Amino acid sequence: MNAFAAHLALSLRLHFRNRIALIYGYLFPLIYLAAFAVLYRHEKIPLLRHMGELLTVSVLGGACFGLPTTLVSERERGVWRRYRVAPVATRSLVLSTVLARFAILLSAGALQLAVAFAVGMTAPANPLGLWIAFSAVSFAFIGLGLVIATLADTVVAVQALGQCIFLPMLVIGGVAVPLASLPGFAQHISAFFPGRYAVEALQACVSGSGLSGARFSLAALLAIGTAASCAGTKLFRWHAQQRFADRAGKLWLAAVLAVWIAIGYAAETRGRIAPSTITETAPAPAVVDPPWKKITSRDIAEFNFNLPSDEGVVAPMAPPDEEPPDEWARGVAIVREKLPAWRPGLDTDEVQRVRNLLCVAAVPDAVQHPLERYLPRVVFDHLIATHEKTDLIKILAWIAQHPEDGAVVTDLTAVGFDLPFSGDSYIIREREMLYALKFIARLTGRKPE
Amino acid sequence: MPAPVAIHHLSKRYGRIEAVRDLSLALNDGEIFGLLGPNGAGKTTLLECVIGLREPDQGSIEICGIDARHAPRAAREKTGVVLQQTSLQEKITPREALQLFASFYPAPLGAGELLERFALGAQADAAFDTLSGGQRQRLALALSFVGRPQLLILDEPTAALDPQSRRALHDDIRRLRDDGCTVLLSTHNLNEAEKLCDRVAVIDRGIIVATGAPRELLRESSAQQTIMLTTRPPLAPERLRALPAVTTVRSDGDSKQIETSSTTTTLAALSTMLAEQRSTIVELRVQPATLEDVFLRLTQSDQPAATL
Repeated sequence: MNAFAAHLALSLRLHFRNRIALIYGYLFPLIYLAAFAVLYRHEKIPLLRHMGELLTVSVLGGACFGLPTTLVSERERGVWRRYRVAPVATRSLVLSTVLARFAILLSAGALQLAVAFAVGMTAPANPLGLWIAFSAVSFAFIGLGLVIATLADTVVAVQALGQCIFLPMLVIGGVAVPLASLPGFAQHISAFFPGRYAVEALQACVSGSGLSGARFSLAALLAIGTAASCAGTKLFRWHAQQRFADRAGKLWLAAVLAVWIAIGYAAETRGRIAPSTITETAPAPAVVDPPWKKITSRDIAEFNFNLPSDEGVVAPMAPPDEEPPDEWARGVAIVREKLPAWRPGLDTDEVQRVRNLLCVAAVPDAVQHPLERYLPRVVFDHLIATHEKTDLIKILAWIAQHPEDGAVVTDLTAVGFDLPFSGDSYIIREREMLYALKFIARLTGRKPE
Repeated sequence: MPAPVAIHHLSKRYGRIEAVRDLSLALNDGEIFGLLGPNGAGKTTLLECVIGLREPDQGSIEICGIDARHAPRAAREKTGVVLQQTSLQEKITPREALQLFASFYPAPLGAGELLERFALGAQADAAFDTLSGGQRQRLALALSFVGRPQLLILDEPTAALDPQSRRALHDDIRRLRDDGCTVLLSTHNLNEAEKLCDRVAVIDRGIIVATGAPRELLRESSAQQTIMLTTRPPLAPERLRALPAVTTVRSDGDSKQIETSSTTTTLAALSTMLAEQRSTIVELRVQPATLEDVFLRLTQSDQPAATL
């Protein structure tokens, strides 16, 4: 057996002898699942919608804590110093360590999926794509784990450094808290963290359009992983006293950060700050009719159509023949022009697509922009033009029945409306519901135009 | 046949401190060579340069004819190393460790053979953290032997061992030498160096101040020998101090410690004095100079460059 294979096999054997590592690697991911079960105790657990987040948290923990903890504790004990005086190539040992960690992450992810299936989750939309996305996510985070291992002198320092990466990604990086629930500034910050792209890539394969819908995220993960792996390998320390504090070492760390910044900048300039609607969608399996199809006219009749006035402050809507004043006409025209090609408005999930389009009406209303009267009309016209009427009524009714579901888009920069909403997303959901009912009222003749 | 280790004009500095200064050294095939020196003398730096843990500032290191600085992996294939402390993963077993290290070498010895040779058969499948200090050190030695080394380098191998384990390790090292392996070891234990090494080098402040066989060093050194003498009636210290070759006399009750540069000269004059003083010998012992005396004399000198 060559050095690579022997060290790979030994790394795996030693991992499975370490009870603490097993608890962190396998039990914690299942605890995340249980936590979601508690959070969603009032409804069927929408695991499929959250699998991207759950898998990302597991990989993040295993790669940014598990890998450097193992490496640094072995280095502290002098194991790597002993390896150093043997005739073995650095790349054999580092690559086998990385591959062993990938196998551990893969098995932890598979266990998490298996338990999710056992409690009722449907199969991912694109299993092969999910495997590829999972590999890309693992690559990015294992690279970061290698960097942490080079920076940390002790296992305690690994925990401190790991938390510096882990917690921001969890809280404002789009991993544990959905992007749609974050204020606008946090959505901008999340674009500079790899966690967001991990969730997007995984979720696209679990419940979205697959890898084709996550090209940017995959590219971001591969770039982050490549930079971090190069830095981690170049700065690799065989023993604790070995320092990387020379100029070249600092340059490698600067290169890793530069990639994060470049990706965030690319996301900003390409209008990718608003949450991708691929995430957090909850489509039913293709073979089963989506639940909104079951909406009946009786369900619609049960709605309270005593809605706020079209001329009021809440959910206003201009009549079809009202032209906007000259100073705002250009703004309305831009939104009307960009709306057909707006990515969230093309989401493959019909309900999420309509929700996103309703946000184009809801956000200007929530921020009380002068366009708030005119954009609902633009959205309404677009919905009529792009959806079959009966389906549209049912989808709008489903949204009005389930205002808390799905994602909320608060940044409409990509559609030409550049005043993002940074308050509680609950307000947007409420306005979405009101506009959904106003549109139903018009489509069903309850409110003549 | 190239020397197992040939070091030429090696220098290594840490900032303003010169740890090794233009040092040259060659080992003979099949010998046990000891590096002696006080803390900070540069012996660990020298060993770390030889085994590739540190990059020298200048000079060359050849191991079995291979330039160790330009072909470190090839040099390491010829070398077995026992570091001062070898600590492996908590749960690894001696068998697994030997199998792993066997994968690093082109023609390794089998794990079973090494476990038997180094008396680790009973602990072959025990976790590393359950092994005693002696067992760990035997495992370290077994690991260093996996690749059939021509040169074995040991950095203070007995520092943390009890006397029994130390003696067993000495036997192991001699056996390796008998098998044709050259051994380079550093030690603080001068008694160990005296018993174990065929040749030693004393390093002080980064340079070698003496090289040779321990007995040769003792013979050629001007280290003082001590005569322990008790007489009745006791002789006055000032009379004893007047004896030829005597440098110092210390009193401890009736007994006297006489330091002399020549025991034969001093003893001849002493017998005459005893007859004149009508004094009889109660106890007489001659304590030869030890390597420790040589070591102290060499390393405490303000002129460290003396060559024996």
